[in-house]
Amino acid sequence: MGGLLKLSAAIDRFSTFVGKTLSWLILAMVLVSAGNAVARKFFDASSNAWLELQWYLFSVVFLCCAGYALLCKEHIRIDIVAGHLSDRANQRIALFGHIFFLMPLCAIMLYESWPYLMESIRINEHSSNAGGLLRWPVKLAMIAGFALLLLQGLSEIIKQIGVMRGVYIVPRGQPKIH
Amino acid sequence: MKILRGFFYAFLVALVVLLAVSILAPNSVAADFLRREMAPIMFISLVFFLLMGYPVAFSLAALGLLYAIAGIELGLFTTNLMQALPNRLFGIMENDTLLAIPFFTFMGLILERSGMAEDLLETIGQLFGPLPGGLAYAVIFVGALLAATTGVVAASVISMGLISLPIMLRYGYDRRLASGVIAASGTLAQIIPPSLVLIVLADQLGRSVGDMYKGAIYPGLILTSFYVGYVLVRTILNPKIAPALPPEARQLREADGSGGYPSLVGLVAIVGIASWGLIQYGDLESLWGISICLIVAYALALANRWLKLGLLSQLCQQVVIVMMPPLALIFLVLGTIFIGLATPTEGGAMGATGALLMAMANRRLNWSLLRQAMDSTAKLTAFVVFILVGARVFSLSFYGVNGDLWVEHLLLGLPGGAIGFLIVVNVLIFLLAFFLDFFELAFIIIPLLAKPAEALGIDLIWFGVLLGINMQTSFMHPPFGFALFYLRSVAPDGKFLDKVTGKLTEGVTTAQIYWGAVPFVCIQAIMVGLVIAFPGMVTAGLDKGNGVDPNKVKIEIQAPPADDAGPPVFK
Repeated sequence: MGGLLKLSAAIDRFSTFVGKTLSWLILAMVLVSAGNAVARKFFDASSNAWLELQWYLFSVVFLCCAGYALLCKEHIRIDIVAGHLSDRANQRIALFGHIFFLMPLCAIMLYESWPYLMESIRINEHSSNAGGLLRWPVKLAMIAGFALLLLQGLSEIIKQIGVMRGVYIVPRGQPKIH
Repeated sequence: MKILRGFFYAFLVALVVLLAVSILAPNSVAADFLRREMAPIMFISLVFFLLMGYPVAFSLAALGLLYAIAGIELGLFTTNLMQALPNRLFGIMENDTLLAIPFFTFMGLILERSGMAEDLLETIGQLFGPLPGGLAYAVIFVGALLAATTGVVAASVISMGLISLPIMLRYGYDRRLASGVIAASGTLAQIIPPSLVLIVLADQLGRSVGDMYKGAIYPGLILTSFYVGYVLVRTILNPKIAPALPPEARQLREADGSGGYPSLVGLVAIVGIASWGLIQYGDLESLWGISICLIVAYALALANRWLKLGLLSQLCQQVVIVMMPPLALIFLVLGTIFIGLATPTEGGAMGATGALLMAMANRRLNWSLLRQAMDSTAKLTAFVVFILVGARVFSLSFYGVNGDLWVEHLLLGLPGGAIGFLIVVNVLIFLLAFFLDFFELAFIIIPLLAKPAEALGIDLIWFGVLLGINMQTSFMHPPFGFALFYLRSVAPDGKFLDKVTGKLTEGVTTAQIYWGAVPFVCIQAIMVGLVIAFPGMVTAGLDKGNGVDPNKVKIEIQAPPADDAGPPVFK
């Protein structure tokens, strides 16, 4: 268990690093998008590449930060029933969900997205808009996102088992802010 | 608890047995039953697993996949169904409208720290202070202004709870009225454009965000005036529940002790006449005419402050100075969308840039604030968009077994035609809002309602605005409303020592917060009824819209999204 918990801690650090680094793309998105509007109105310049960059950045952020959000327990749950259950029951539900919901979901998405990405690389797919961007990098983000989520899911499973066996104590985090 | 656990295991076992038998013996009675009743079974298991409390996004997606596999085994789908998954995800990724979610969230987080809300509340509180219920009016007014700049409830409620609530408590406001007004005014951000709710509703109903904004303007303003009306009636019936500020609490007064109101009234009149003149005779678009006059007034107020000209009263000068930043932001966001300069998404980006500049100008922007805002925005974006991903994966198999038709059939079978449908749907949403978050409602429930609504000849913009007002209540329903949580987190519980008066003052109990919200939930319900009765409230805003339709801007720069591959035809 000790080795696994170390692995889980390493995954957590990695997810945090990825999340915190990629969050800079939010600022980039804001500036690119505002720049697009201003450029179109005042300089009559409109570039499909820059317009597409907006949602490329958006996709990278939401896909690749999903694991980080899982680590931070940010994904919304409905706690109307769960709030009345014992800690033990909630731990079991979380473990059940991680193993039977999250893991298969990530595995299937990875399995289905892989040929999708490969096909895009093979035909050197470009956007159908004039001057649009190369497509495969953003499709790669799909693979990266679900791989990160899978990895973080593994870490959550390890931690959850650790908690249930009493060998892992959940660190007191900061209060959640929405 | 024991019964609940028994029920849980019984359901789980029944489901597993049903699925296992069906897949192992595709000709059995169980398999036939599953084939025929797949949609209702999916729906029931969705409710069941969501209530378990595992994150919604993953539960939705996993259930969708489970039934997709079962459906393939039973011969309901071909294996092509699974190959449609990456395409579905890609459709979400290239959806420009969703970009507005991080933009407005980021803008709200930065604005929260820019000091705008604080300045507004203090000054507007002084402005309305001498009236009974004055602080409550100030909260409603500022709530509406903040709502028009950003679409985030948390920021409004927290800043009003931190700034206005202590003053209201100090001067003896009724606790229920004070907390109700703050929670309700904070939720105005949900219905007054530019709101995230309207963006997501427009996206899910397949209508333009610009139209949704235009449709929501009048209902939003009418709703605001209802809040004002409620406070007015309460204070007329019993002035003691919301006393006027005593003279010593009004700092923005002239040397001779007068309030300085004539100066403000005079300036407002001059600005009004001047902008009317500019528009009428100067051949300017109305937006530009008003903007120029406001900028001149702002310059005058700044000059008055720095050079001590004495042209304007203290109050007038301060009101003009604090009103300018929100008005500028409203112009940046809504103005640019309505005159066709920006798409709603870009409007959000412009607003976020504006908020950054404003925080910088006030010297309140630093690295740690920026990093925190980006971090929170990234996490929120991930979890919100993942609910949509989950909902789309679920709908892949749910729509595949004609679950949408099943729901449509149920809804169209309601007595009373369009009105019956609207009433049932609104009651349903109102009840679901007690325990579902807005995003869950929008991504899971709304897509199912769009087609039946259209089939009944209901205008989807009207429908969207209606649902928007209804869902606004999900923020103030006791006991789960988020606005009430936010308020609870900043309101003093029990007695506390007031810093200004030095007296021991009663705080606000949780029961008072809950009861305070009830009249406003009722106002909300009345408003829903009125919008159903008078669709003109929504459509009036649409006809008057000027400028370029934001959607046209989008059409010329974007290729139509690729349709999903796969057997059934989806939405």
